[in-house]
Amino acid sequence: MAVPSAKRVRRGPRLVLLVFFVCLSVVVLLPFFAILLASFKPAEELIRYGLNLRLDWHLMSFDNYKYLFTGITPEGQHLPHDYLLWFRNSVLLTVMQTALTLLTSAWVAYGFAMYRFKGRNVIFSCVLVILMIPFEILMLPMYSQASAMGLLDSFWGIILPFMAHASTIFFFRQYLLSIPKEIVDAGRVDGASEYGIFFRLILPIMKPAFSAMAILVGMNSWNNFLWPMLVLRSGKKYVLSIGLNTLLTPYGNNYDILIAGACFSVIPLLILFSFTQKYFIEGMTMGSVKG
Amino acid sequence: MKRSVLSALVLALVFCLATAGAVSAATKVTLWTFIPQHARFFDVMAEKWNAQHPDRQIELESSVLPYDDMHNKLQIALQSGVGAPDICDIEISRFPNFLMGVPQLLPLNDYFAPYLDDIVPSRLGIYSKGANMYGAPTHVGATVAFYYVELLESAGIDYRQIKTWDDFAEAGRKLKQVHPDKFMGIAETSAAWTVTAMLAQQGTDLVSEDERPLINTPEMLRAVTTMQNMVKEGIMTTCPDGQPDTEGGKGFIDQGNVACVIMPLWFMSRFVDEMPSMNGKIAIAPVPVFEEGMPRSLGLGGTGTVVTNYAVDKDLVGEFVAYAKLSEDANRMIWEDLGFDPCNTSLWTDREMTHNPENRYNQYFLNNAFDVLLEIKDEIQMVRSTSISPTINQYLTTVMLNELFEDLLDPAEVIEQAQYDIENQIF
Amino acid sequence: MRRITHFIYNQKAAPYIFVLPFVLTFLVFFVYPVFTTIRMSFQEILPGMITNVGLKNYQRLLGDRIFRTAVSNSFEYMFWTVLILIPMPLALAYMLNSRSMAAPGLFKGILFLPILTSVVVAGTIFRLIFGELPGSFMNTVRAFFGLAPIKWLRQEGTGMAALVIMCCWRWTGVNILYYLAALKNIPPEMYESAEIDGANAWQKFRHISVPLVKPTIIYVLTISIYGGLAMFTESYMLWAGNNSPRNIGLTIVGYLYRQGWEQNRMGFASAVGLVLLVFASIINFIQLRLTGVLGKEGD
Repeated sequence: MAVPSAKRVRRGPRLVLLVFFVCLSVVVLLPFFAILLASFKPAEELIRYGLNLRLDWHLMSFDNYKYLFTGITPEGQHLPHDYLLWFRNSVLLTVMQTALTLLTSAWVAYGFAMYRFKGRNVIFSCVLVILMIPFEILMLPMYSQASAMGLLDSFWGIILPFMAHASTIFFFRQYLLSIPKEIVDAGRVDGASEYGIFFRLILPIMKPAFSAMAILVGMNSWNNFLWPMLVLRSGKKYVLSIGLNTLLTPYGNNYDILIAGACFSVIPLLILFSFTQKYFIEGMTMGSVKG
Repeated sequence: MKRSVLSALVLALVFCLATAGAVSAATKVTLWTFIPQHARFFDVMAEKWNAQHPDRQIELESSVLPYDDMHNKLQIALQSGVGAPDICDIEISRFPNFLMGVPQLLPLNDYFAPYLDDIVPSRLGIYSKGANMYGAPTHVGATVAFYYVELLESAGIDYRQIKTWDDFAEAGRKLKQVHPDKFMGIAETSAAWTVTAMLAQQGTDLVSEDERPLINTPEMLRAVTTMQNMVKEGIMTTCPDGQPDTEGGKGFIDQGNVACVIMPLWFMSRFVDEMPSMNGKIAIAPVPVFEEGMPRSLGLGGTGTVVTNYAVDKDLVGEFVAYAKLSEDANRMIWEDLGFDPCNTSLWTDREMTHNPENRYNQYFLNNAFDVLLEIKDEIQMVRSTSISPTINQYLTTVMLNELFEDLLDPAEVIEQAQYDIENQIF
Repeated sequence: MRRITHFIYNQKAAPYIFVLPFVLTFLVFFVYPVFTTIRMSFQEILPGMITNVGLKNYQRLLGDRIFRTAVSNSFEYMFWTVLILIPMPLALAYMLNSRSMAAPGLFKGILFLPILTSVVVAGTIFRLIFGELPGSFMNTVRAFFGLAPIKWLRQEGTGMAALVIMCCWRWTGVNILYYLAALKNIPPEMYESAEIDGANAWQKFRHISVPLVKPTIIYVLTISIYGGLAMFTESYMLWAGNNSPRNIGLTIVGYLYRQGWEQNRMGFASAVGLVLLVFASIINFIQLRLTGVLGKEGD
């Protein structure tokens, strides 16, 4: 911890805090536990008795997961589905979108943070305006725009409109404001071009900010639903969030694969988060809003 | 030596290209549906079509999309003129939206013509605008009553004797005495099956011929008051998820909580696929009426298969849809594979098909569905479907029926408010 | 060609090159759609038939009982999320940052976990947890206290509660991280000198932490207000569709979606959208003015 333990820590508050947080964690983890448990039970069980924490060992099996990965239903039928394809698409889209969004947003944020130029206030206000407007209002015109540009049914159609991402630009700008401008001046003295400074001097410094935003942007991309749903049309290009939703139809739900698929879909982010957690918090600290 | 290898390679390449060419001679046809079973059905029909039309091959590419999203996407695609599929299954309650303005769908009259003699005309009517037919129906959807015989018998009730709603309520009281925790029927709050059936019995509908909502009417008052009274008495109950055709509803029925479910005949397939514990316990009968002599059934639910204006080869696609939905082959498949009452009613008397002991739907139920269908055949009413129907349906299934059967508010006031709210949204 | 290269490498031109991607997306995917929406709000739009109807769409909004339900739901939801998601994560972050905390990294990780689930997944989980069957999780909790099962997602109060609980479950961890980041920037000496002056934990929190993390509080407040008013997918997933009983989960964006996409009244939906735009702009403008974010760019 950053706070040096100059004084000896007292036992009482420590125990109280520990107990409190253990209880809190249990509450937070309960929904996960419930759904994980359900993923091992037959779907009919869930539909008849609801989601609960009963442990019935004789009812539990890996059947749903077997179905998820092999397409063989608990009844032994071979009913192929596209879960693994959706999964692959989701990974691909998330990686592409995160990388492109971070780079573009950093590029733009650098312009806002390091230069004083005519129109800066006006343009930056536009960033704030975008932050405030729910995209759902603009869905239809945005859709026709994307289709006019030939972006439908491709990952580009999902990525491009949000590549210069308002809240990421905002965050990066705050972060860059805390970097001394002398670095840039020193770069200029050394004869580097404006863009060389950005790529060689600034990008490396922004690493913590990048990891903080990587998880937020990555998470949004992985979980995004409405816009990909509008843009993508062929089943082979679906990402997980849309694919999982196709399993819910008013004409019968595929709960067995839905629940197991939902559980499994959390894993990549879990891995990403556990690797970047350290940088993540560090990055948030450095970029924290200095209003 | 080298030369021969090379020429062999070239030959192989040419061969590959030639076969690839032959394969791509089939026309690519895209199809959207929100029901996986329908996608499989169309795939089979496409194979049959290809077998019969070697020179007009189609390569069907079907996608299953979520219900809401499929309809919404189709709407935008037709509005903006980009990205529409060739064929799409549109659910009946959403269908009127696609007939607004200038329909961006292909009139199918010419393609349907060869099959029309055998098809119930009213099922084509709900997917038409003016003289143009835009959708191929899947089933009649005749409403029937599914009785849980074992439960009724244990309370000394013979379901065959239930003719009117009074009989139904009386049976419910008897049932209550023996099984206080069981119910005679379900009062739906997220669908309007029973209410609509009750209106049809009295000769009315939710919407008038000149497209006005008919909510604040004496017939509606009679229907909802009858149901609300049964709810108050504990004869009817609301169910999880608000109606039988949901996972909550099916779970509720499968646990044996209700003695009677009033649903369109296609609900058979849900029993067979998703309610295993009711196997061999359910009998099918006509729906009770207010007074004997009233029509005992009404066609409900369904999907209309359309061809969009953006279809690649309109004639080919149109003919395929007509074949896949209206031909005798198709209608047999619709019963045998999907378990729906086919629109080709001449098949209803084909005992070889209808009474096939191998059929899994026949095996599940105590009596034969077609015996009941033939009994009520001439009484099957049709719902009116107009541009305001989606709004009415939406209001009924979110607000009005909840106020009536969950909150037990005064029926007269509820339907008056409903009439006002719906009119405000429309005009 | 050389002139172009020269222009691009000019220090004067550089800032414009940097902000260019944003300006382009802003114009193409924002300004144009906004103007289209404004135009559409005065029209009735049917495929192949577009008619100008003047203010009719707005007039209809005025008498629309369901729209009022949607507005009040959105504001209610915003109110509860702001009330809970501003102070609670701050308090938790403060505790996590305290010297007496054991294994803060572990607990941070756990509290952050829920946001890793998509709305689709979280909605499914919470729909099942708040299921109305006697055996559903929340009803078994009630049974434990000797209470009868209730239909959580069919009643106004409990439906909204489920929505707010789901939202808090997902977002608490993120807000904690925002706050933690700010708390770590406070030099420990400030606490130590306060301790020497005899301040207790509450006083340190109240008089040192809160004022110093104020900018973060404002940031979190802004995104919460905006997110609260524009909420839609959460409700859509919790009720497995846009049709909650008696519209208890209907939000402004949900109503827009229903009118525009489900019932094919794009013009009317555009009017709904613009009303929301006005609400959001007013609130955010007041807020940004008060906190001075807009005023700071001049330096």
